Amino acid sequence: MKKIFVLLMILTLALMTGCGGSNDGDKKTSNDAGKIKLGMITRLNASEESFGKFMEEVEKTLNVKIASHKPIFFDSLNAMEAALQAGQIDEISTYRSVARYMIAKDPRFNVLKDHSLEFIDSFCFALRQDDTELKDSLNTVIKEMQSDGTLDRLTKEYITDINAENDPPAVEIPTIDGAQTIKVAVTGDLPPLDFVSADGKPAGFNTAVLAEIGKRLNRNIELVQVESGARAAALTSKQVDVVFWAIVPVSEIIPQDSDKPDGIALTEPYYKDEEKK
Amino acid sequence: MDFTEILYKIFIKDGGWLTILNGLWVTVQISALSLFLGTLLGSLLCFFRVGKFTPLKVIAQIYISIIRGSPVLMLLMLLFYGVFARTGMAPIVVAVITFSMHTAAHVAELLRASLMALDKGQVEAARTLGFSKWQAFQLVTLPQLAKIARPVYQSTVVNLIQWTSVVGYVTITDLTRVINNIASRTMQPMITITGGMIIYLALSYLVYGAFHLTERRRAQ
Repeated sequence: MKKIFVLLMILTLALMTGCGGSNDGDKKTSNDAGKIKLGMITRLNASEESFGKFMEEVEKTLNVKIASHKPIFFDSLNAMEAALQAGQIDEISTYRSVARYMIAKDPRFNVLKDHSLEFIDSFCFALRQDDTELKDSLNTVIKEMQSDGTLDRLTKEYITDINAENDPPAVEIPTIDGAQTIKVAVTGDLPPLDFVSADGKPAGFNTAVLAEIGKRLNRNIELVQVESGARAAALTSKQVDVVFWAIVPVSEIIPQDSDKPDGIALTEPYYKDEEKK
Repeated sequence: MDFTEILYKIFIKDGGWLTILNGLWVTVQISALSLFLGTLLGSLLCFFRVGKFTPLKVIAQIYISIIRGSPVLMLLMLLFYGVFARTGMAPIVVAVITFSMHTAAHVAELLRASLMALDKGQVEAARTLGFSKWQAFQLVTLPQLAKIARPVYQSTVVNLIQWTSVVGYVTITDLTRVINNIASRTMQPMITITGGMIIYLALSYLVYGAFHLTERRRAQ
Protein backbone atom coordinates (compact mmCIF):
# COMPACT_ATOMS: atom_id res chain seq x y z
CA MET A 1 0.00 0.00 0.00
CA LYS A 2 2.81 2.32 0.94
CA LYS A 3 4.28 1.91 -2.50
CA ILE A 4 1.19 3.30 -4.08
CA PHE A 5 1.23 6.37 -1.90
CA VAL A 6 4.68 7.46 -2.92
CA LEU A 7 4.21 7.26 -6.62
CA LEU A 8 4.84 9.99 -9.08
CA MET A 9 6.07 10.20 -12.55
CA ILE A 10 9.40 9.12 -13.84
CA LEU A 11 12.46 10.24 -15.55
CA THR A 12 13.80 10.73 -18.91
CA LEU A 13 17.50 10.41 -18.77
CA ALA A 14 18.11 14.03 -19.55
CA LEU A 15 20.55 14.58 -16.74
CA MET A 16 21.02 17.98 -15.29
CA THR A 17 23.39 19.57 -12.93
CA GLY A 18 23.21 22.55 -10.66
CA CYS A 19 26.15 24.74 -9.98
CA GLY A 20 24.78 26.52 -6.82
CA GLY A 21 27.33 26.52 -3.99
CA SER A 22 27.93 22.81 -3.67
CA ASN A 23 30.62 21.94 -1.19
CA ASP A 24 33.10 20.07 -3.25
CA GLY A 25 35.67 20.22 -0.48
CA ASP A 26 33.71 17.91 1.82
CA LYS A 27 35.23 14.54 2.44
CA LYS A 28 32.94 11.72 1.46
CA THR A 29 33.46 8.69 3.63
CA SER A 30 30.71 6.32 2.50
CA ASN A 31 31.14 3.38 0.15
CA ASP A 32 29.70 5.42 -2.61
CA ALA A 33 32.51 7.90 -2.45
CA GLY A 34 33.17 9.27 -5.88
CA LYS A 35 29.73 8.35 -7.15
CA ILE A 36 27.68 11.21 -8.49
CA LYS A 37 24.42 11.57 -6.59
CA LEU A 38 21.53 11.64 -9.00
CA GLY A 39 18.11 12.81 -7.88
CA MET A 40 15.10 11.03 -9.34
CA ILE A 41 11.39 10.90 -8.79
CA THR A 42 10.39 7.79 -6.83
CA ARG A 43 9.59 4.78 -8.98
CA LEU A 44 6.77 2.53 -7.95
CA ASN A 45 8.19 -0.94 -8.29
CA ALA A 46 11.90 -0.30 -7.92
CA SER A 47 14.12 0.56 -4.99
CA GLU A 48 17.11 2.89 -5.18
CA GLU A 49 19.36 -0.18 -5.11
CA SER A 50 17.59 -2.11 -7.83
CA PHE A 51 17.42 1.00 -9.97
CA GLY A 52 21.16 1.44 -9.57
CA LYS A 53 21.47 -2.06 -11.02
CA PHE A 54 19.31 -1.19 -14.04
CA MET A 55 21.57 1.75 -14.67
CA GLU A 56 24.62 -0.49 -14.74
CA GLU A 57 22.83 -2.72 -17.24
CA VAL A 58 21.95 0.30 -19.32
CA GLU A 59 25.56 1.35 -19.50
CA LYS A 60 26.66 -2.11 -20.67
CA THR A 61 24.23 -2.30 -23.56
CA LEU A 62 23.28 1.19 -24.60
CA ASN A 63 26.46 3.20 -24.45
CA VAL A 64 24.94 5.64 -21.97
CA LYS A 65 27.35 6.53 -19.17
CA ILE A 66 25.31 6.42 -16.02
CA ALA A 67 26.75 3.64 -13.89
CA SER A 68 28.86 6.15 -11.99
CA HIS A 69 25.65 7.64 -10.60
CA LYS A 70 23.93 6.72 -7.39
CA PRO A 71 20.17 7.19 -7.65
CA ILE A 72 18.40 8.96 -4.81
CA PHE A 73 14.61 9.00 -4.91
CA PHE A 74 12.44 12.03 -4.14
CA ASP A 75 8.68 12.22 -3.86
CA SER A 76 8.39 15.54 -5.59
CA LEU A 77 10.23 17.75 -8.01
CA ASN A 78 10.15 20.44 -5.39
CA ALA A 79 12.10 18.45 -2.82
CA MET A 80 14.53 17.29 -5.48
CA GLU A 81 15.24 20.87 -6.46
CA ALA A 82 15.78 21.98 -2.91
CA ALA A 83 18.31 19.14 -2.54
CA LEU A 84 20.04 20.22 -5.73
CA GLN A 85 20.29 23.82 -4.59
CA ALA A 86 21.63 22.75 -1.22
CA GLY A 87 24.24 20.53 -2.82
CA GLN A 88 22.88 17.28 -1.34
CA ILE A 89 22.69 15.82 -4.81
CA ASP A 90 24.81 16.70 -7.80
CA GLU A 91 22.50 16.12 -10.72
CA ILE A 92 18.86 15.41 -11.32
CA SER A 93 17.22 13.34 -13.94
CA THR A 94 14.05 14.76 -15.38
CA TYR A 95 12.00 15.20 -18.51
CA ARG A 96 13.33 17.33 -21.29
CA SER A 97 10.44 19.78 -21.10
CA VAL A 98 10.81 20.15 -17.32
CA ALA A 99 14.54 20.65 -17.72
CA ARG A 100 13.96 23.41 -20.23
CA TYR A 101 11.55 25.08 -17.86
CA MET A 102 14.07 24.90 -15.01
CA ILE A 103 16.78 26.44 -17.14
CA ALA A 104 14.46 29.19 -18.35
CA LYS A 105 13.63 30.07 -14.75
CA ASP A 106 17.09 29.70 -13.29
CA PRO A 107 20.04 30.07 -15.63
CA ARG A 108 22.40 28.55 -13.07
CA PHE A 109 21.25 25.09 -14.18
CA ASN A 110 22.43 23.50 -17.36
CA VAL A 111 21.86 20.32 -19.28
CA LEU A 112 24.60 17.84 -18.61
CA LYS A 113 23.61 15.00 -20.88
CA ASP A 114 20.69 14.63 -23.15
CA HIS A 115 19.45 11.09 -23.50
CA SER A 116 16.15 11.93 -25.08
CA LEU A 117 17.14 10.09 -28.24
CA GLU A 118 17.64 6.81 -26.41
CA PHE A 119 14.68 7.19 -24.12
CA ILE A 120 11.58 9.03 -25.18
CA ASP A 121 9.08 9.55 -22.41
CA SER A 122 5.50 9.94 -23.31
CA PHE A 123 2.66 11.29 -21.25
CA CYS A 124 -0.79 9.82 -21.10
CA PHE A 125 -3.80 9.60 -18.84
CA ALA A 126 -4.25 6.85 -16.28
CA LEU A 127 -7.69 5.70 -15.24
CA ARG A 128 -9.30 2.85 -13.37
CA GLN A 129 -9.17 -0.39 -15.31
CA ASP A 130 -12.94 -0.80 -15.39
CA ASP A 131 -13.47 2.66 -16.90
CA THR A 132 -13.19 1.35 -20.45
CA GLU A 133 -15.83 3.66 -21.90
CA LEU A 134 -13.91 6.77 -20.77
CA LYS A 135 -10.65 5.26 -21.94
CA ASP A 136 -12.01 4.65 -25.43
CA SER A 137 -13.42 8.13 -25.81
CA LEU A 138 -10.17 9.71 -24.55
CA ASN A 139 -8.19 7.64 -27.03
CA THR A 140 -10.40 8.76 -29.90
CA VAL A 141 -10.06 12.41 -28.96
CA ILE A 142 -6.29 12.16 -28.52
CA LYS A 143 -5.95 10.68 -32.01
CA GLU A 144 -8.13 13.42 -33.46
CA MET A 145 -6.10 16.12 -31.77
CA GLN A 146 -2.91 14.55 -33.00
CA SER A 147 -3.98 14.40 -36.62
CA ASP A 148 -5.46 17.90 -36.84
CA GLY A 149 -2.37 19.50 -35.28
CA THR A 150 -4.04 20.73 -32.10
CA LEU A 151 -1.55 18.96 -29.88
CA ASP A 152 1.38 20.42 -31.79
CA ARG A 153 -0.07 23.90 -31.48
CA LEU A 154 -0.57 23.52 -27.72
CA THR A 155 2.91 22.05 -27.34
CA LYS A 156 4.42 25.08 -29.00
CA GLU A 157 2.38 27.51 -26.95
CA TYR A 158 2.79 25.89 -23.55
CA ILE A 159 6.11 24.06 -23.70
CA THR A 160 8.40 25.27 -26.48
CA ASP A 161 7.74 28.98 -25.98
CA ILE A 162 8.43 29.01 -22.22
CA ASN A 163 10.42 32.04 -21.11
CA ALA A 164 11.88 33.36 -17.91
CA GLU A 165 9.45 36.21 -17.37
CA ASN A 166 5.93 35.02 -17.95
CA ASP A 167 4.09 31.74 -17.87
CA PRO A 168 1.27 31.09 -20.29
CA PRO A 169 -1.99 32.05 -18.54
CA ALA A 170 -4.29 29.46 -17.01
CA VAL A 171 -6.85 28.27 -19.53
CA GLU A 172 -10.54 28.72 -18.95
CA ILE A 173 -12.12 25.31 -18.77
CA PRO A 174 -15.57 25.67 -20.30
CA THR A 175 -18.59 24.50 -18.34
CA ILE A 176 -21.32 22.74 -20.22
CA ASP A 177 -24.72 22.65 -18.57
CA GLY A 178 -26.06 19.23 -17.82
CA ALA A 179 -23.01 17.42 -19.15
CA GLN A 180 -21.23 14.66 -17.25
CA THR A 181 -18.17 15.67 -15.27
CA ILE A 182 -14.75 14.08 -15.47
CA LYS A 183 -12.65 14.75 -12.38
CA VAL A 184 -8.95 15.07 -13.08
CA ALA A 185 -6.19 15.24 -10.49
CA VAL A 186 -3.54 17.92 -10.94
CA THR A 187 -0.49 18.14 -8.69
CA GLY A 188 1.09 21.45 -9.60
CA ASP A 189 4.45 19.76 -9.33
CA LEU A 190 5.56 19.33 -12.92
CA PRO A 191 6.01 22.62 -14.72
CA PRO A 192 5.47 23.43 -17.54
CA LEU A 193 3.01 20.55 -17.94
CA ASP A 194 1.29 20.91 -14.62
CA PHE A 195 1.72 23.88 -12.30
CA VAL A 196 -0.37 26.33 -10.33
CA SER A 197 -0.33 29.92 -11.51
CA ALA A 198 0.27 32.86 -9.18
CA ASP A 199 -3.46 33.45 -8.76
CA GLY A 200 -3.93 29.90 -7.51
CA LYS A 201 -5.44 28.34 -10.64
CA PRO A 202 -4.13 25.09 -12.12
CA ALA A 203 -2.28 25.90 -15.33
CA GLY A 204 0.11 24.49 -17.88
CA PHE A 205 0.09 22.27 -20.93
CA ASN A 206 -1.99 19.51 -19.33
CA THR A 207 -4.84 21.85 -18.45
CA ALA A 208 -4.85 23.25 -21.99
CA VAL A 209 -5.11 19.73 -23.39
CA LEU A 210 -7.91 18.96 -20.94
CA ALA A 211 -9.88 22.06 -21.88
CA GLU A 212 -9.76 20.95 -25.51
CA ILE A 213 -10.73 17.38 -24.61
CA GLY A 214 -13.67 18.63 -22.57
CA LYS A 215 -14.92 20.66 -25.53
CA ARG A 216 -14.62 17.75 -27.94
CA LEU A 217 -16.17 15.17 -25.63
CA ASN A 218 -18.87 17.57 -24.53
CA ARG A 219 -18.10 16.85 -20.90
CA ASN A 220 -17.22 19.09 -17.99
CA ILE A 221 -13.71 18.85 -16.64
CA GLU A 222 -13.21 19.40 -12.92
CA LEU A 223 -9.62 19.93 -11.83
CA VAL A 224 -8.83 18.59 -8.36
CA GLN A 225 -5.59 19.78 -6.81
CA VAL A 226 -3.92 17.03 -4.84
CA GLU A 227 -0.50 16.23 -3.40
CA SER A 228 1.32 14.01 -5.89
CA GLY A 229 1.79 11.29 -3.26
CA ALA A 230 -1.97 10.85 -2.95
CA ARG A 231 -2.85 10.53 -6.63
CA ALA A 232 -3.16 6.75 -6.65
CA ALA A 233 -5.36 6.77 -3.56
CA ALA A 234 -7.52 9.46 -5.15
CA LEU A 235 -7.90 7.45 -8.35
CA THR A 236 -8.68 4.08 -6.79
CA SER A 237 -11.14 5.55 -4.29
CA LYS A 238 -13.02 7.30 -7.12
CA GLN A 239 -12.37 10.79 -5.78
CA VAL A 240 -10.95 11.49 -9.24
CA ASP A 241 -11.41 9.68 -12.56
CA VAL A 242 -8.20 10.57 -14.35
CA VAL A 243 -4.60 11.23 -13.32
CA PHE A 244 -1.67 12.17 -15.52
CA TRP A 245 0.83 9.45 -16.16
CA ALA A 246 4.22 9.27 -17.78
CA ILE A 247 5.09 6.10 -19.63
CA VAL A 248 8.52 4.73 -18.89
CA PRO A 249 10.43 4.23 -22.10
CA VAL A 250 10.49 0.51 -22.69
CA SER A 251 13.70 -1.22 -23.53
CA GLU A 252 15.10 -4.68 -22.99
CA ILE A 253 16.85 -3.50 -19.85
CA ILE A 254 14.41 -1.42 -17.89
CA PRO A 255 11.62 -3.71 -16.74
CA GLN A 256 8.28 -2.59 -18.04
CA ASP A 257 6.62 -2.77 -14.68
CA SER A 258 9.17 -0.62 -12.86
CA ASP A 259 6.63 2.17 -12.60
CA LYS A 260 3.18 0.77 -13.25
CA PRO A 261 0.76 -0.03 -10.45
CA ASP A 262 -1.88 -2.73 -10.79
CA GLY A 263 -5.47 -2.03 -11.69
CA ILE A 264 -4.73 1.01 -13.78
CA ALA A 265 -5.33 1.46 -17.50
CA LEU A 266 -3.35 3.89 -19.64
CA THR A 267 -4.55 5.82 -22.67
CA GLU A 268 -2.65 6.63 -25.83
CA PRO A 269 0.08 9.21 -25.22
CA TYR A 270 -0.91 12.83 -25.86
CA TYR A 271 2.61 14.19 -25.65
CA LYS A 272 6.03 12.84 -26.46
CA ASP A 273 8.90 14.41 -24.58
CA GLU A 274 11.23 14.85 -27.54
CA GLU A 275 12.91 17.72 -29.30
CA LYS A 276 10.59 19.63 -31.60
CA LYS A 277 12.05 21.38 -34.54
CA MET B 1 18.55 38.82 -10.62
CA ASP B 2 18.89 40.50 -7.27
CA PHE B 3 17.31 39.20 -4.13
CA THR B 4 14.44 41.67 -3.79
CA GLU B 5 13.44 40.95 -7.36
CA ILE B 6 13.29 37.21 -6.59
CA LEU B 7 11.23 37.92 -3.47
CA TYR B 8 8.86 40.07 -5.49
CA LYS B 9 8.47 37.35 -8.09
CA ILE B 10 7.79 34.65 -5.52
CA PHE B 11 5.50 36.38 -3.07
CA ILE B 12 3.86 39.38 -4.78
CA LYS B 13 3.77 39.19 -8.56
CA ASP B 14 0.43 38.57 -10.32
CA GLY B 15 -1.52 38.41 -7.08
CA GLY B 16 0.66 35.71 -5.55
CA TRP B 17 0.21 37.25 -2.10
CA LEU B 18 -3.56 36.85 -2.40
CA THR B 19 -3.17 33.16 -3.15
CA ILE B 20 -0.95 32.85 -0.08
CA LEU B 21 -3.57 34.64 2.03
CA ASN B 22 -6.26 32.30 0.71
CA GLY B 23 -4.12 29.32 1.68
CA LEU B 24 -3.54 30.83 5.12
CA TRP B 25 -7.28 31.36 5.54
CA VAL B 26 -7.94 27.68 4.75
CA THR B 27 -5.34 26.67 7.35
CA VAL B 28 -6.87 28.99 9.94
CA GLN B 29 -10.40 27.76 9.22
CA ILE B 30 -9.51 24.10 9.57
CA SER B 31 -7.45 24.76 12.71
CA ALA B 32 -10.07 26.92 14.43
CA LEU B 33 -13.01 24.61 13.72
CA SER B 34 -11.04 21.52 14.70
CA LEU B 35 -9.87 23.20 17.88
CA PHE B 36 -13.42 24.12 18.89
CA LEU B 37 -14.95 20.72 18.11
CA GLY B 38 -11.89 18.84 19.37
CA THR B 39 -11.99 20.64 22.71
CA LEU B 40 -15.69 19.85 23.19
CA LEU B 41 -15.26 16.22 22.22
CA GLY B 42 -12.06 15.97 24.26
CA SER B 43 -13.77 17.26 27.41
CA LEU B 44 -16.54 14.71 26.93
CA LEU B 45 -13.98 11.95 26.41
CA CYS B 46 -12.14 12.99 29.56
CA PHE B 47 -15.43 12.95 31.45
CA PHE B 48 -15.99 9.34 30.30
CA ARG B 49 -12.39 8.40 30.92
CA VAL B 50 -12.34 9.47 34.58
CA GLY B 51 -15.98 8.53 35.18
CA LYS B 52 -17.26 5.48 37.00
CA PHE B 53 -19.22 3.86 34.15
CA THR B 54 -16.88 1.10 32.97
CA PRO B 55 -17.97 0.48 29.31
CA LEU B 56 -17.67 4.17 28.41
CA LYS B 57 -14.41 4.34 30.29
CA VAL B 58 -12.98 1.45 28.27
CA ILE B 59 -14.22 2.92 24.98
CA ALA B 60 -12.64 6.28 25.79
CA GLN B 61 -9.42 4.55 26.76
CA ILE B 62 -9.26 2.57 23.50
CA TYR B 63 -10.13 5.62 21.40
CA ILE B 64 -7.46 7.75 23.04
CA SER B 65 -4.73 5.15 22.69
CA ILE B 66 -5.50 4.42 19.02
CA ILE B 67 -5.73 8.03 17.95
CA ARG B 68 -2.76 9.24 19.96
CA GLY B 69 -0.66 6.36 18.75
CA SER B 70 -1.14 6.83 15.01
CA PRO B 71 -0.03 9.53 12.58
CA VAL B 72 -2.78 11.96 11.74
CA LEU B 73 -2.01 11.75 8.00
CA MET B 74 -2.91 8.04 7.99
CA LEU B 75 -6.20 8.78 9.72
CA LEU B 76 -6.91 11.57 7.24
CA MET B 77 -6.20 9.40 4.19
CA LEU B 78 -8.21 6.54 5.66
CA LEU B 79 -11.23 8.73 6.29
CA PHE B 80 -11.15 10.65 3.01
CA TYR B 81 -10.19 7.90 0.58
CA GLY B 82 -11.84 5.09 2.52
CA VAL B 83 -14.64 5.71 4.96
CA PHE B 84 -16.16 8.86 3.44
CA ALA B 85 -15.07 8.23 -0.17
CA ARG B 86 -18.55 7.35 -1.42
CA THR B 87 -20.42 10.03 0.49
CA GLY B 88 -19.14 12.90 -1.63
CA MET B 89 -18.42 14.86 1.53
CA ALA B 90 -16.36 18.02 0.99
CA PRO B 91 -12.67 17.42 1.70
CA ILE B 92 -12.54 20.31 4.14
CA VAL B 93 -15.31 18.71 6.24
CA VAL B 94 -13.40 15.43 6.35
CA ALA B 95 -10.29 17.35 7.39
CA VAL B 96 -12.14 19.08 10.21
CA ILE B 97 -13.56 15.73 11.39
CA THR B 98 -10.10 14.16 11.34
CA PHE B 99 -8.35 16.95 13.19
CA SER B 100 -11.19 17.25 15.70
CA MET B 101 -10.87 13.53 16.42
CA HIS B 102 -7.13 13.88 16.78
CA THR B 103 -7.26 16.99 18.94
CA ALA B 104 -9.97 15.42 21.11
CA ALA B 105 -7.70 12.55 22.10
CA HIS B 106 -4.92 14.95 23.05
CA VAL B 107 -7.23 17.31 24.92
CA ALA B 108 -8.77 14.39 26.84
CA GLU B 109 -5.34 13.26 27.98
CA LEU B 110 -4.17 16.72 28.95
CA LEU B 111 -7.33 17.32 30.96
CA ARG B 112 -6.99 13.98 32.71
CA ALA B 113 -3.36 14.72 33.56
CA SER B 114 -4.39 18.11 34.96
CA LEU B 115 -7.19 16.53 37.00
CA MET B 116 -4.76 14.07 38.50
CA ALA B 117 -2.52 16.92 39.56
CA LEU B 118 -5.30 18.40 41.68
CA ASP B 119 -5.66 17.76 45.37
CA LYS B 120 -8.67 15.47 45.85
CA GLY B 121 -9.06 16.58 49.46
CA GLN B 122 -10.27 20.00 48.38
CA VAL B 123 -13.34 18.61 46.63
CA GLU B 124 -14.04 16.39 49.63
CA ALA B 125 -13.74 19.40 51.92
CA ALA B 126 -16.10 21.41 49.72
CA ARG B 127 -18.61 18.55 49.71
CA THR B 128 -18.44 18.32 53.51
CA LEU B 129 -19.12 22.04 53.71
CA GLY B 130 -22.38 21.46 51.84
CA PHE B 131 -21.43 22.27 48.23
CA SER B 132 -23.24 20.22 45.62
CA LYS B 133 -21.17 18.07 43.23
CA TRP B 134 -21.60 20.63 40.46
CA GLN B 135 -20.77 23.57 42.73
CA ALA B 136 -17.63 21.84 43.95
CA PHE B 137 -16.54 21.22 40.35
CA GLN B 138 -17.37 24.73 39.22
CA LEU B 139 -15.92 26.65 42.14
CA VAL B 140 -13.04 24.47 43.31
CA THR B 141 -11.89 22.14 40.55
CA LEU B 142 -12.44 24.15 37.37
CA PRO B 143 -10.40 27.28 38.19
CA GLN B 144 -7.40 25.22 39.23
CA LEU B 145 -7.82 22.88 36.27
CA ALA B 146 -7.77 25.80 33.85
CA LYS B 147 -4.60 27.10 35.39
CA ILE B 148 -2.75 23.80 35.18
CA ALA B 149 -4.02 22.84 31.73
CA ARG B 150 -3.36 26.19 30.08
CA PRO B 151 0.30 25.83 29.07
CA VAL B 152 -0.20 22.33 27.65
CA TYR B 153 -3.38 23.39 25.88
CA GLN B 154 -1.51 26.27 24.31
CA SER B 155 1.05 23.93 22.80
CA THR B 156 -1.73 21.61 21.62
CA VAL B 157 -3.18 24.53 19.66
CA VAL B 158 0.14 25.31 18.04
CA ASN B 159 0.71 21.63 17.25
CA LEU B 160 -2.73 21.42 15.67
CA ILE B 161 -1.93 24.29 13.31
CA GLN B 162 1.19 22.49 12.19
CA TRP B 163 -0.55 19.12 11.81
CA THR B 164 -2.98 20.66 9.33
CA SER B 165 -0.13 21.10 6.87
CA VAL B 166 -0.82 17.61 5.46
CA VAL B 167 -4.30 18.39 4.09
CA GLY B 168 -2.83 18.71 0.60
CA TYR B 169 -3.10 14.92 0.49
CA VAL B 170 -6.88 15.18 0.47
CA THR B 171 -7.21 17.75 -2.32
CA ILE B 172 -7.28 20.83 -0.09
CA THR B 173 -5.09 23.79 -0.97
CA ASP B 174 -3.86 25.10 2.35
CA LEU B 175 -0.86 27.28 3.15
CA THR B 176 1.65 24.43 2.74
CA ARG B 177 0.23 23.46 -0.66
CA VAL B 178 0.30 27.06 -1.86
CA ILE B 179 3.93 27.35 -0.78
CA ASN B 180 4.83 24.08 -2.54
CA ASN B 181 3.02 25.15 -5.69
CA ILE B 182 4.90 28.42 -5.75
CA ALA B 183 8.19 26.62 -5.15
CA SER B 184 7.54 24.33 -8.14
CA ARG B 185 6.50 27.16 -10.41
CA THR B 186 9.28 29.59 -9.55
CA MET B 187 11.97 26.92 -9.10
CA GLN B 188 13.04 28.63 -5.85
CA PRO B 189 12.20 26.07 -3.14
CA MET B 190 14.59 27.36 -0.46
CA ILE B 191 13.36 30.94 -0.36
CA THR B 192 9.71 30.01 -0.79
CA ILE B 193 9.73 27.44 1.98
CA THR B 194 11.55 29.81 4.32
CA GLY B 195 8.80 32.34 3.62
CA GLY B 196 6.15 29.73 4.39
CA MET B 197 7.85 28.88 7.67
CA ILE B 198 7.83 32.50 8.71
CA ILE B 199 4.07 32.67 8.12
CA TYR B 200 3.48 29.55 10.25
CA LEU B 201 5.76 30.98 12.91
CA ALA B 202 3.79 34.22 12.93
CA LEU B 203 0.57 32.25 13.33
CA SER B 204 2.03 30.36 16.30
CA TYR B 205 3.15 33.57 17.94
CA LEU B 206 -0.34 35.00 17.48
CA VAL B 207 -1.62 32.04 19.47
CA TYR B 208 1.00 32.56 22.18
CA GLY B 209 0.09 36.24 22.22
CA ALA B 210 -3.61 35.49 22.62
CA PHE B 211 -2.92 33.16 25.54
CA HIS B 212 -0.65 35.73 27.11
CA LEU B 213 -3.35 38.40 26.87
CA THR B 214 -6.02 36.23 28.51
CA GLU B 215 -3.57 35.36 31.26
CA ARG B 216 -2.92 39.03 31.99
CA ARG B 217 -6.64 39.73 32.07
CA ARG B 218 -7.19 36.91 34.54
CA ALA B 219 -4.41 38.20 36.74
CA GLN B 220 -5.97 41.65 37.04
